[in-house]
Amino acid sequence: MRQKNPFLYYGRKLLGFAVSVFLLSLVVFCTARLAPGDPLVSYYGDRAEKMTPQEREQAEARLGLDEPIHVQYVRWLENAACGNFGISYKYKTDVISVIAGRLPNTLILGGTAFLLIFAGALALGALCAWNEENFLDRTVCKVGTIVSCIPEFWLSLVLILVFAVQLRWLPSSGAYTIGGGGLADRAVHLILPLTVTAAGHLWYYAYMIRNKLLEEIRSDYVLLAKAKGLSRRAVLFQHCLRGVLPTYLSLMAISVPHILGGTYIVETVFSYPGIGTLSYESARYQDYNLLMLLCLISGSVVILCNILAQIISEWIDPRMRSGEPPEVTKHG
Amino acid sequence: MDERFILVGARTPLPPPPPEKKWYAGKPVFSMVVLAVIISGCLGCELFIPKDPVYMDLFHAVESPGREFWFGTDTMGRDIFSMIWFGGRVSLAIGFLSTAISTFLAILFGAASGLAPRWLDELLMRLTEIFLSIPSLLLIILLQAILGKAGVLSISLVIGVTGWTSMAKVVRSEVRRLRNSEYVLASRCMGAGFFHVLLRHLAPNFFSSIMFMVVMNVRSAIAAESTLSFIGLGLPLEIISWGSMLSLSEKALLSEAWWIILIPGAFLVATMLCVTSIGNWLRGESGQKSGNL
Repeated sequence: MRQKNPFLYYGRKLLGFAVSVFLLSLVVFCTARLAPGDPLVSYYGDRAEKMTPQEREQAEARLGLDEPIHVQYVRWLENAACGNFGISYKYKTDVISVIAGRLPNTLILGGTAFLLIFAGALALGALCAWNEENFLDRTVCKVGTIVSCIPEFWLSLVLILVFAVQLRWLPSSGAYTIGGGGLADRAVHLILPLTVTAAGHLWYYAYMIRNKLLEEIRSDYVLLAKAKGLSRRAVLFQHCLRGVLPTYLSLMAISVPHILGGTYIVETVFSYPGIGTLSYESARYQDYNLLMLLCLISGSVVILCNILAQIISEWIDPRMRSGEPPEVTKHG
Repeated sequence: MDERFILVGARTPLPPPPPEKKWYAGKPVFSMVVLAVIISGCLGCELFIPKDPVYMDLFHAVESPGREFWFGTDTMGRDIFSMIWFGGRVSLAIGFLSTAISTFLAILFGAASGLAPRWLDELLMRLTEIFLSIPSLLLIILLQAILGKAGVLSISLVIGVTGWTSMAKVVRSEVRRLRNSEYVLASRCMGAGFFHVLLRHLAPNFFSSIMFMVVMNVRSAIAAESTLSFIGLGLPLEIISWGSMLSLSEKALLSEAWWIILIPGAFLVATMLCVTSIGNWLRGESGQKSGNL
């Protein structure tokens, strides 16, 4: 049951990715157009409501909205294949440049949060496993349960209330002060959103690491390692942690979309100019082209991360490859 | 006792009998009591709330907690103490209703996928993946637009329809594990249909393993309702729920009215915490290993 051909293997994954993205674009395209709402309002603003029927027709023809939906889709697809995703109705510029202006903000927020969660969960989980059923362990678990029950938006509100309104230590919204924009300024603006995003997810992964480590500690090789005379720390960090790490990696790959999704809400509360607020706007106001590209980006991140997680877990356990539940087979 | 043989040196005293287990041992009693108080308080709120929760008393807008308004008033002059109990009904109803919807969808989809031949199973799982990769915000906006004006039913439907996938995956794997059991095979040989096998043979077996997911789903549905209402996609201000009460908090931040933000939120968090600890207890009961996604 060895893997045949790496090209075939990755080719299949790539094909799966392409098909999924294609289907995703089809579904989003159709659903967005079928949803009631007037895209002309987002292009022309309030003027759209006062238009005569002829003007409306002209405007729709100009934006290509008068054709049947499948024609529109095919034309969108042709353009997209050439890298042309159309213009945003609201911002009246190329969609790519609109997104490019916002993407770094989200990447900074999401990326830093991801790193924090990744490292923090590992440290916290190891700490808890080290102090199993200790006062420290119990406290961390209790606090984690409580914090994970707090909705992100409410946590943001409370933090704003305390640190921005009452104490006036930190700014309550935006990514930088208008006019300013130094590195320190950006960092200060990042503190609260980052805290909320990280706090929401950290506990779950830390708890997972803790449980996995405890499971690992009970396995036989630990006994051997101890008998060999290794110290407790060496066993935990050199052997157990290494055993847990692959599972953790594949889990973290799946977590990327969750963390990104978490930043959406946080961005809205802090009016942080990122992808989250942009997609909310575009979906709300029928900015079709912008919405399409945003959905494609976030959708492909999700699909890509899923595939990545699958590859990692198949790499750990070759029995997963067939997609069937593991059976007892002899490996050559 | 018969003492014909005396075993010398082998007399060990009997171990003391294990202490009798109290009926509440290991159960999250505190959470259950708090949750029961919150639920019954919400259901029977007409009996004790001092004010009409929907009455907007503009003379007393943004009043801090005091003797007349125990928890203060919101920016529209409504009494927060009354609103909490009155609005809790809506929040809890949405939590339970949307959980029912997602559980139904998850069982149906998971069982269909688990019993289906391999290619269909693959297809269904791929579809779930694509469904998951559509940003839920878009899906929610779309569903809202189709369903028209937001109400309790439409919000429950939206949350229920977007929240069934992880449960469906568990159901699927459980069904795949169970479907080759003798009794399922026997039942199918006797010509039982899909629903018969599902309800009589499969559901009783996998129910304990999704029970805790169902409970956790109540929690996430309540959280989803409040989040949606907060960002303006959920219930409007007139329909009082914990979420729609919190949607006033942006204004409350400006006037530093902490009670508008903290008090409904505290109730929300307390409810979710109780539900979580009950869910965790159920997970322990069903003997499932935790933390494995």
